Amino acid sequence: MGEIALQNIVKRFGELDVIRNISLTVKDGEFVVFVGPSGCGKSSLLRLITGLEDVSDGQVLIDGRDVTKLAPSERQLAMVFQSYALFPHLTVADNIGFGLRVSGRPKKEIRERVLTAARALELEPYLDRFPRQLSGGQRQRVAIGRAIVRAPSAFLFDEPLSNLDAALRVQMRLELIRLHDELKTTMIYVTHDQVEAMTMADRIVVLNAGRVEQFDTPIALYDAPANRFVAGFIGSPKMNFIDATAAGPNRIETSAGGLDIANLKEPLPDGRLTFGIRPEHLRYDRHVGVWSGTILVEEQLGSDAYFTVDVKSLGTLTVRAVGERGYRRGDTIFLTPDPDRSHVFDAQGRALTRPTTMASGSTAARVQTGTA
Amino acid sequence: MNSTFRLRDVGPLVLVLGFVFISVAPILWLTLGAFKPTADIIAIPPVWIPDFTYLQNFRDVLTQFWPFIVNSLVATIGATILALVLAVPTAFALVNHRFKGREALADWILSTRMMPPIAAAVPLFVIFRGVGLLDSLPGLIIAYAGFNLPFAVWMTMSFVRRVPKELIEAARLEGCTWWQVLKDVVLPLSKSGLAAVATFVFIFAWNEFMLALFLTTREAKTFPVVISSFVGTGRVYWEYIAAASIIQCLPPVLFTFFMQKHIVSGVTMGAVKD
Repeated sequence: MGEIALQNIVKRFGELDVIRNISLTVKDGEFVVFVGPSGCGKSSLLRLITGLEDVSDGQVLIDGRDVTKLAPSERQLAMVFQSYALFPHLTVADNIGFGLRVSGRPKKEIRERVLTAARALELEPYLDRFPRQLSGGQRQRVAIGRAIVRAPSAFLFDEPLSNLDAALRVQMRLELIRLHDELKTTMIYVTHDQVEAMTMADRIVVLNAGRVEQFDTPIALYDAPANRFVAGFIGSPKMNFIDATAAGPNRIETSAGGLDIANLKEPLPDGRLTFGIRPEHLRYDRHVGVWSGTILVEEQLGSDAYFTVDVKSLGTLTVRAVGERGYRRGDTIFLTPDPDRSHVFDAQGRALTRPTTMASGSTAARVQTGTA
Repeated sequence: MNSTFRLRDVGPLVLVLGFVFISVAPILWLTLGAFKPTADIIAIPPVWIPDFTYLQNFRDVLTQFWPFIVNSLVATIGATILALVLAVPTAFALVNHRFKGREALADWILSTRMMPPIAAAVPLFVIFRGVGLLDSLPGLIIAYAGFNLPFAVWMTMSFVRRVPKELIEAARLEGCTWWQVLKDVVLPLSKSGLAAVATFVFIFAWNEFMLALFLTTREAKTFPVVISSFVGTGRVYWEYIAAASIIQCLPPVLFTFFMQKHIVSGVTMGAVKD
């Protein structure tokens, strides 16, 4: 079991509010990723769950039990650190079995459980080595082994892959997903890398300045961001934002002309608005379109091409063209935003649109914008 | 070794050799003197090279004064152990626990070091007389450990601080109590530092003279005090001074030599991503 509930969590360092009243529930067996820019409080939140930091206000519940006042050692959690935090004076086997030894388990049981964990992580040949004799990836696996061997109620990961090189990172990402499928234990994973967040998470908590901006499935965050921050943070390249004003209940006016918005949740308010459209939701053509512009930069990735297009009076927009080979720098290009995939945000950044095209088939896709 | 000898190298060489001679001369004199009978020590012209098989001086000193060597050893080892036993948990707590007045407490501990031991000697004498610790080894052990604690705490703190924070956090999450964190993680990783602290305390206590002179008379008298008594009003026992000084020099040298093996750098290598 490993349901983790945060209730009105506040963390202050002196005058500074690092965490401002966060409530959320991570379900048993769920893989939840905390993501956000640096300084958003994601690591602090993780440390509050572990008990390595004390909360200033609020409660932490694990399986309904209030653990707010309990020491880290009493919370039955396991954590994998960015720096691995392996004990340098102990062998791989002793590192993995550390927690079991500390809790006074019989030697035979420790040996068996260490061996099982080592086998699962392909660490068997290295059991007698010391951490300094291992590569980065192996060290990380030892850290994971130390976490799984105790069968904790939840695993916490603090940017565990950011010290690895790109290839290894992809491999470890897959291993972690596989591990979660196997163990079905609650996992909370902190990262600033949205690719890690999108690929691994059942649900993602997007944090900004100590607040939860949105807590939802990766696809829901992408398709229906609750606000401008999430819209800009999730997705690469970033969503294009265009300043606009309301020109009617469902029509906006930009500096390059008006646009009808088809998927509004509510009538447009007066005042400043922001129109948002992802690079992949801008249709492009050589001859027809809403906006015309010139290609300033063409980034060719092979699978995709990214065009940075200078649209007169709107500024630059990014366009993602799948498999496109035909355009060059300086070419004129016409752009049309996909009406079903358009976003409009009010002056406070709140989303006013409900994108109508969700994952194919599931019209009842979960658009639960759980800012708790 | 194919460089030609140059004249301008001579100056510094002579200077260095002169300096080495000044530093080594007393020890050389003592070492040579320890193997000479009294007559040879004061002979003019001097007897440069003694007969190294002449061990009477050592024999005399050891047979007559061995209880004081034992006193010195007990007081020194006792003070070293007591200082470490007190300093390690103190340093660990000062580094790893956040509590009000932590910095002030650490500074205050260090400030007690500023007091010259002589200033404490008379009050200590009065207190020790009051509680019956005068001229006793436990008294000396307490005094030596006490005078070394500030230094031992601060030095230990600097080593405890080097243990990566994540290791302590990882240990706590693995279920360690604070005592287990200290025992299973911090101590093994600060071994080299503790060896250094122990060496310093050992050398201080072994060589300490003034407090021993004040606080002991007969039973707990230490070896340095005995050596000073060889300078009598009527006669100076040069041969005993020489032999005893050599004996006095040996334990710190041996202790440091032994501890050196433990002062291995790089024990924390591989703990965290370098």
